[in-house]
Amino acid sequence: MMLLRLISWPYARKHLLRWLLTMAGIVLGVGVFVGMHTANQSVLAAFRETIDKVAGTTQLQITAGEPGFGEEVLEKVQSLPEVRAAAPVIEATVSTGQGNLLILGVDMLGDRSLRTYDLEGTDEAIDDPLIFLAQADSLIVTRTFAEKNGLQVNSRVPMRTMQGDLIFTVRGIMKPGGLASAFGGDLAIMDIYAAQKFFGRGRRFDRVDLALLDGVTLADGSAKLRALLGSGYEVSPPSSRGEQFEQTSRIYSLASNITSIFALFIGMFIIYNTFAIAVTQRRSEIGILRALGATRSQIRTLFLTESAIAGSIGSGLGVLFGIVMAHAMASYIGNILTEVYGVAQRADGIQVDPVLIGGAWAMGIVTSLFAAVIPARAAAYVDPVKALQKGRNQALSEGESLLRRWAAVGCAAAAVIAVIFSHSTAIFYAGFVLGGVAAVLLAPSLTLWLSRFLRPLLAFLRPVEGTLAADSLIQSPRRTSGTVAALMLSLALVISLGGLARSSYDSLADWMRIALNPDLFVTTAQSVTSRTFVFPASLGDGLRAIPGVDEVQLVRSVRVPVKGGPVMLVALDIGSVERRAKLPAVEGDAATMYRRTERGEAVLASENFVRLHGGKLGEVLEIAAPSGVLKLPIAGIVRDFSDQQGSLLISRQAYIRFWNDDSVNVFRVYVKQGAQDSDVRQRILDTFGKQQRLFVLTNKDVRDYVTRLTDQWFGLTYVQIAVAVLVAILGIVNALTVSITDRRRELGVLQAVGGLRQQIRHTVWMEAAAIGFIGLVLGLLLGAVELYYAIEISRRDLVGIDIGYAYPFRTALALAPVILIAAFLAAVGPSESAVRGSLVEALEYE
Amino acid sequence: MIHLQGVTKQFAGKRQVTALERLDLHLARGEMVSIVGPSGSGKSTLLNLIGGLDRPTEGEIKIDGQALSTLSDDGLTRVRRDKIGFIFQFFNLLPTLSCLENVSLPLHLRGWPRKKIDERARELLDLVQLSGRLEHLPDELSGGERQRVAIARALSVFPPVLLADEPTGNLDTHTGAEILKLIHDLHDRLGATILIVTHDMVVAESCPRTIGIRDGRIVTDVRRGDARREMSRA
Ligand SMILES: Nc1ncnc2c1ncn2[C@@H]1O[C@H](COP(=O)(O)OP(=O)(O)OP(=O)(O)O)[C@@H](O)[C@H]1O
Ligand SMILES: [Mg+2]
Repeated sequence: MMLLRLISWPYARKHLLRWLLTMAGIVLGVGVFVGMHTANQSVLAAFRETIDKVAGTTQLQITAGEPGFGEEVLEKVQSLPEVRAAAPVIEATVSTGQGNLLILGVDMLGDRSLRTYDLEGTDEAIDDPLIFLAQADSLIVTRTFAEKNGLQVNSRVPMRTMQGDLIFTVRGIMKPGGLASAFGGDLAIMDIYAAQKFFGRGRRFDRVDLALLDGVTLADGSAKLRALLGSGYEVSPPSSRGEQFEQTSRIYSLASNITSIFALFIGMFIIYNTFAIAVTQRRSEIGILRALGATRSQIRTLFLTESAIAGSIGSGLGVLFGIVMAHAMASYIGNILTEVYGVAQRADGIQVDPVLIGGAWAMGIVTSLFAAVIPARAAAYVDPVKALQKGRNQALSEGESLLRRWAAVGCAAAAVIAVIFSHSTAIFYAGFVLGGVAAVLLAPSLTLWLSRFLRPLLAFLRPVEGTLAADSLIQSPRRTSGTVAALMLSLALVISLGGLARSSYDSLADWMRIALNPDLFVTTAQSVTSRTFVFPASLGDGLRAIPGVDEVQLVRSVRVPVKGGPVMLVALDIGSVERRAKLPAVEGDAATMYRRTERGEAVLASENFVRLHGGKLGEVLEIAAPSGVLKLPIAGIVRDFSDQQGSLLISRQAYIRFWNDDSVNVFRVYVKQGAQDSDVRQRILDTFGKQQRLFVLTNKDVRDYVTRLTDQWFGLTYVQIAVAVLVAILGIVNALTVSITDRRRELGVLQAVGGLRQQIRHTVWMEAAAIGFIGLVLGLLLGAVELYYAIEISRRDLVGIDIGYAYPFRTALALAPVILIAAFLAAVGPSESAVRGSLVEALEYE
Repeated sequence: MIHLQGVTKQFAGKRQVTALERLDLHLARGEMVSIVGPSGSGKSTLLNLIGGLDRPTEGEIKIDGQALSTLSDDGLTRVRRDKIGFIFQFFNLLPTLSCLENVSLPLHLRGWPRKKIDERARELLDLVQLSGRLEHLPDELSGGERQRVAIARALSVFPPVLLADEPTGNLDTHTGAEILKLIHDLHDRLGATILIVTHDMVVAESCPRTIGIRDGRIVTDVRRGDARREMSRA
């Protein structure tokens, strides 16, 4: 402790700026980790809270995937003696001018035994549920929503439904709290039969909520219900929907995990760098301490304690930073999840999880301790005699760098072997890690070689300033290599993400060209993926009758339980699709697979379904349908991007037969040759737009929408680039700050013999540019390797599609000026302080 | 050539130190002057002020009629570039540069063409008898050789003023004498105004004029006849 106060504190105070920069590394790592996870958790928690509040006293829910089921199921359930109360529900979000609104369609009569509707004032209409029921146009809203939209009891609310425009009347306003606070308070209740009309559900319910009699256990109750309804139905407590959501958003959590782990890893390098520098700078001090009788372990403890303190302060700040970031990110992530997965939630505030925070904090400290282990050991082994001799000793010892190089070669060789045996997941990931380790180990030697290579070039540009800048790098590889390694890693990540994005866009574009070739799409909402509202099949005939329409394909897509998770089932007219938009076959006989599927004997599985859910050609899938479990073989595997989790294509006839649902999400309309898309679009709107809710999207609208979704998904890439730039700036500022301290005397001499301030600045700038350049070169090279892994990981575990390797040259080109400008910005502060100091002191400086 | 009037230098710190107090001094062109005084008397401070490495708290310094106080930092540097050469006790060579590169440094900073720089640097290293050590790094030289490189560097632009702060302080007596002889030779050949701070009475007395400083004031100013000077050099 005494040592800490006498030795560390004065040093830390003297190099305050550097310590702050070091901590910035940890702040960044912990911050990104906490931010991403808190945002994720908040979205999840918001979803759970909405489920929970909507559930009321519901113990079990009966569902059958998204298509729901017929009304007769309710009577069956109610007939079971163990059931105390059962009520049907339709639940969906619609977008209003004021954001999303959660609409709950319930049967007022039965529902009050499950949910409490706490209404303001005493409104007779609601006191008598029969009156509410008798009036199908009744609407109950929350106080929050009423205030936002200026609604009062008896206000009239026009709404565009699947059965044309309807006018609803506000018959009650719920007090805040309880059910009324679900979905951030943006909630409206309507009669379930009104909801069926509103959403075009026909005579179907989304689910039945129920409570069991006292004394009946959940296990008992669900067993009885399963036996009653058969295997086509799911019986589960409301909370299990949270798990499903978690499963669907798995990819997202995985991606954000990778990002935050990476940020921490980079933070570790910055810490390592700072400590390595500190140890070399304080060699003589360590030597004196050792000469005065300090033991090795005392020296080591001293450095480790320093790093623990820096780590805990940095992590603390990182946690705060992360919480701030989570606020900004929660709604962004929420939007992505709503758009991509169609799950309603509203993350207004954020949920701070003490376990996560504590964990992240500990992780930051452990990371910084870990980063300091090697420098602390080096400090402990400083030879007091040599350390007390004059002169700097920063050069890497020959043995150390040789050892490092051999280790690197070993890792690289192991990584190459791992690629050969990469069919095993464990070996593949081991190879990925080994490759990274090899690169990091090689970084110091490569930095040295590149600096030597740069010396004549810089000397040619500016004889004095260039030579000195290059020499500064060559003399102190320790100072630079940590920064270069961090920069290299983060740029490699940018390249691999950028390449992944580019390849994804390319294969997505291919798919869109083939699969999304109809001229018009008739949908129920602005987005093609929305499945809240459905059309009746009869609209198809109406559309066919419109002049200029050549062909209409009816598409119904629903999530149904397959292989334990919700999977997108796309029901369409397979024959017509084969003619118009034949998807490229990945496996299976392209000639017969469409025919077998069309006859309802089989399904087509998408490439990513097979990869992510582990299926193969010919495998018989069990698909739960209300009429029983459907057993269909996979007749072919096609490349299809309909859903991130994979999709199954089934014939529409088979779907209608098994699910007893002939509704439609999207009509794909092909326009006759010679007819104008815009004319046909207008005719459709004129004919049907007045009667019901209906949107006609052009081919371009849909493609733009898909591209925009993908953009959002790859928004992470931009976060990465920002992190890379930050790392570049932090690391370079750090390295330069040390450099100019080390070279204070040298820079003083330069000024004493006639160097102008501008010339001093040049040498600092050139050093910064050289660091940036070396990091850039190594990062772009490592990126080429990382991209291979990124594409493999995405094929194996994330998206399940082999998108092919294409190096993102444009991203690489764009990075060069960004990093060099960042290097320049990083150099501004240090170069100014280099010219500011007193010359006399600099010349006396030891 | 060098003119100081009422120069005061104070260092503000925990306790204010007056290193020089209302000091007046005039050096003619081509004079060779030694400065002596106890440690802490202000010798180095005086040299730093004349060389434009630092600025006085009060008073005026003129070099060749140019008042330094009116100049910006870069202006001071330009005066240093054109008029002043420095020799330090600890040589202050750049460790990563060879002898040739170290001597070329001031010339490069002035933007001379490479060929001319090379010629001049070789010529100067020849002058200090180091033509055999062009590509050596400072670490590979002895103390005396290093000081000769430093002198060559100080002279590279043929400055009219040469300032030396204990140039022999870090050398043994024999090597010190050699360096002193070199400086005298250069003075005779180039005719520069030379100011040497020293503790070594032999060095001090070899100069035609010696100024004694104590507590920031000039206490003695001795001029010796040329005869004396010739004698001491013999
Ligand atoms: N940067 C500074 N800050 C504060 N005081 C200073 C500084 N530089 C010099 N001094 C003080 O000014 C006085 C004169 O210092 P100077 O270095 O000129 O002495 P000197 O005659 O060169 O001594 P020496 O023979 O030991 O080199 C001393 O008292 C010293 O403590
Ligand atoms: Mg002195």
